[in-house]
Amino acid sequence: MWGQVTSGFGYWDVFTWFFFFALISFFVLWVRSLGRMDYKRNSDQDEIYWSGNEVPEDGAQISVPASSSYWGFRVAMEPLYRILLAFHSGNASDYAGYFVVTAALVGLLILL
Amino acid sequence: MKLHEHLPAFLVMVPLLGAFLTPLVASFGRVVRNVFFVFFSLLTLVIAVSIGMSVFGGQILVYVMGGENFALTLPSGMTYPVRILFEIDAFGALLILCIALAAFAGSVFSINYMDRFSGWKRFLSLYFLMTAGALGMCATGDLFNFFVFVEVSSIASFGLIAFWRDKPETIEASYKYMLVSQVAALLLLIAIGTLYGRYNALNMSALAAMARTGTLDRVVLALIISILAFKCGAFPMHAWMPDAYAETPSGVTCLLVTVSQASFYGLIRVCYSIFPGVAREGTVGWILIVLGCMSMFFGVMMAVVQHEIKRLMGYHSISQVGYMLLAMGVGLLALDGRGNAAAYGLTAMKGGLFHVMNYSIYKALLFLCAGSLYYATGTRDLDKMGGLARNMPWTTGMFVVAAAAISGLPPFNGFVSKLLIYESSFVVHPLLPAIAMITSVLTLASFVKVFQSAFLGPAKTKFIAVREVPAGMLTGMMVLTVVTLLLSLFPGWFMNNVFTKAAEALVDHEGYIRAVMGGGM
Amino acid sequence: MTDSIVKTLDSVGNAPYFVVALLVLMALTAILTQKNLIKICIAVAILGSSVNLFLVLLGYRDGGSIPIYYLKGAEKGMVLPTPQCLTLTAIVIALATTALMLSLIILIHKHYGTLNIDEIRRLRG
Repeated sequence: MWGQVTSGFGYWDVFTWFFFFALISFFVLWVRSLGRMDYKRNSDQDEIYWSGNEVPEDGAQISVPASSSYWGFRVAMEPLYRILLAFHSGNASDYAGYFVVTAALVGLLILL
Repeated sequence: MKLHEHLPAFLVMVPLLGAFLTPLVASFGRVVRNVFFVFFSLLTLVIAVSIGMSVFGGQILVYVMGGENFALTLPSGMTYPVRILFEIDAFGALLILCIALAAFAGSVFSINYMDRFSGWKRFLSLYFLMTAGALGMCATGDLFNFFVFVEVSSIASFGLIAFWRDKPETIEASYKYMLVSQVAALLLLIAIGTLYGRYNALNMSALAAMARTGTLDRVVLALIISILAFKCGAFPMHAWMPDAYAETPSGVTCLLVTVSQASFYGLIRVCYSIFPGVAREGTVGWILIVLGCMSMFFGVMMAVVQHEIKRLMGYHSISQVGYMLLAMGVGLLALDGRGNAAAYGLTAMKGGLFHVMNYSIYKALLFLCAGSLYYATGTRDLDKMGGLARNMPWTTGMFVVAAAAISGLPPFNGFVSKLLIYESSFVVHPLLPAIAMITSVLTLASFVKVFQSAFLGPAKTKFIAVREVPAGMLTGMMVLTVVTLLLSLFPGWFMNNVFTKAAEALVDHEGYIRAVMGGGM
Repeated sequence: MTDSIVKTLDSVGNAPYFVVALLVLMALTAILTQKNLIKICIAVAILGSSVNLFLVLLGYRDGGSIPIYYLKGAEKGMVLPTPQCLTLTAIVIALATTALMLSLIILIHKHYGTLNIDEIRRLRG
């Protein structure tokens, strides 16, 4: 079987996945087709709603910059990130030091 | 003369010839230079594929340099090999295939990407040298030769990282990598010299046949593990990786990824084939697992908060290398276990090797996509990008494929290799697949962020004029996309014919020795 | 002449290996503690030289002669020339890396105006 890979517990088969994907998409599309049909193209329903204000011409003014995504995650993980950012200090002798220390630790562990 | 018997020699010869022909050919104008660049990369790929075809059939290719006969591994009157020789088994051939593919895609991509810049002669020479070095690392059967190829590829990569030398950051990245890399390389030479002093041999098979488990062997193994783990970017020593990957021209970054994979090859080869006695005692397996878990988790944690696209992907490389280290460590630990453990160990290794190939292909593709974005918009900062899916539909499509593959979404290939790693690493400890899954979730999160901020969102005025990148760059990316899709659609075929063979070759310690030593020793 | 060299080498025993270890430690300490890029580069060069010394030492065998057929004299056994080849290769590689490192240092000085390693930290985090 070209699409099948067995692991210790079971197997992964791409074509089975595609079959079920098609099956489920069929049901999803069917359920979707039962929904409301009163949407009208090229009417006010197509307009962007931006808190009732006029939408700016340039998208740069309304897009969320990448630095702001996952803000909550970063704040929650602040203590860890403080350590990690201090670790990546940008100082080349620190990096050489990490290498030497790791080599020494690995050596110690293997010798014991 | 039968040409196919000399394939291992051609594998390194062709890129080397390309490197030294470049200054001559590049003066014949742009078209000749481009054709030359792509032709030599394609030739390397063809050689790699034909080597793969004979090696995955179950044969180990051995090629002796400078002997009376290229198949004569033991010179008359000697009991151990003294000549430089190449030994390619299924594991080496897998890595060779990845490197050659990435080199080809990178060369096609670079034709358009580097067109705006001067310094083509140097660029091409260094590119070919790096390819030759990386291919040699995976082909050689001699430890000192391995060191030489490490240095060839490293020196070429220092040059290529600092290629845009008018930017301070490139020089800084190159210097930082170079400093630690040089210390590591010289310590590697000390380790290799110690082995020579102990066994009077440098040949990997001869060493594998003679290796004992004394104190000196342990020190040497520890040195080699930490040096090569540094080279492939394991956690506490990874800091050069995002710097270097971010500052290199993108066509080269995709090759740099596979060069670090070649170091991974060396690491695994030393653990599995040369020192199985020490490595299978347990400590080494745990060291690889711990390094792998730390790389996975901390790498992806750093990636989540990055806002520079290539730097973000550089941190992802660290976490992806972690998966392979984890899988190989589990393999080392579980192979000698009781009951079903050995079977799970082999599954972990298969998953790890599958991941090696997946990672080289989709990571190269991601870096090429990032390069396209940089080419089209002139920035690598995700904060400034946005709404580019309208302007660059092809790049968007290929980025989605690569991002889904790296995040392990079914039905892509990344899912299959990660599944195999999850379902086997629990044999050692149930916490390991948990860490791997958290990493996978965070990977998906950060690629959703990249996709959202670069391709989706409202169109920005300053990017109205952005167009899809030129055909050469798209072709380079397309090659890798097609390979990703093939790996996704036919994982079973690749598993049976490539990865299982590679894993078995790696476990078959005796076979690796016998290929060179014959009945001797 | 040759005999006296052999005698000297026999009498020093393992001392050269300690010299190698000392040089390696010196170089590593300098790389980790020095702040000046040129000094770090010198330390890397010292590390390279100590590795070369180590390789040359490995090539010495009691009673062995130089591995050149018409120069070996009355001695019967020749030493294996491998360590000599390794040293030559390592010297060439060290030359290339030192030259490259120095040229990078020149460029760093041009861009950053300093050679202090603590101030060359634009890439971090």
